[in-house]
Amino acid sequence: MIDEKLKIQTKKNDDIHCVYLNGYLDAHTAPKLEETFQRIINEGGYKILVNFSELDYISSAGLGVFMAYIEDVRNNGGDIKLTSMKDKVFSVFDLLGFPMLFDIDADEQDGISKLANNQFR
Amino acid sequence: MKAENSHNTICTAGDVVELSRIRDFVKSKAEVFGFGDGDCNKIVLAVDEACSNLIEHAYRKDASKLLCVEIDSLDKDFIIKILDNASPFDPLNVLQPDMEEYFKKLKRGGLGIKIMLMVMDEIHYYPSTEQNPVNTLILKKHLN
Repeated sequence: MIDEKLKIQTKKNDDIHCVYLNGYLDAHTAPKLEETFQRIINEGGYKILVNFSELDYISSAGLGVFMAYIEDVRNNGGDIKLTSMKDKVFSVFDLLGFPMLFDIDADEQDGISKLANNQFR
Repeated sequence: MKAENSHNTICTAGDVVELSRIRDFVKSKAEVFGFGDGDCNKIVLAVDEACSNLIEHAYRKDASKLLCVEIDSLDKDFIIKILDNASPFDPLNVLQPDMEEYFKKLKRGGLGIKIMLMVMDEIHYYPSTEQNPVNTLILKKHLN
């Protein structure tokens, strides 16, 4: 059932792990994204880009996944960059001030460039 | 509380798998009431947050428990009532996080009630009583 609600694809470009989200990120599906982040980190990946272009919904349970991993990632010299959000998804991040903590770019390439050039928060 | 679904009520198991069905129900009602996409999204988000909190914290993911979402209206007020049988817990008594401090300390969780307060016009909570053994959370949004 989770697979129908949230599809996740990953791609690795050099040391940058790209995560593509499709569907709905809520209290039901958030554990699936946690598993993906945990797998990337277990493999030693700390430069993570998340592309939201096909994500239609996020709740605070979804926001919590990014909060859960950002410290670990940054403490290991990496970052999580967020890109390509629909307005309705960005508005949830923006409502609570998440742009204070995360770079959120309109274009995936901007996020990749920042990771490649080690432009971290 | 009986599982009586109707035109304006949806009752589901207290299970996060049901969240998408609850969101679809609330969105369809908010659209018919006349809200645009932005307000519909806010209303759906608030109901999701309320039901997620209920399922995870009050029901502790016990899917044998039941929750109901009723839609009502009064003039231009769109009213959502969320009914449950858990131990009473008033979300309005919870101290809300300061987001600068939240980000500085890299906290996690505890944002659901804050979101509800930010996107809805009114929130009321009525704990169960001997006469009415159902807790009721009321969320209101005014149609401008």
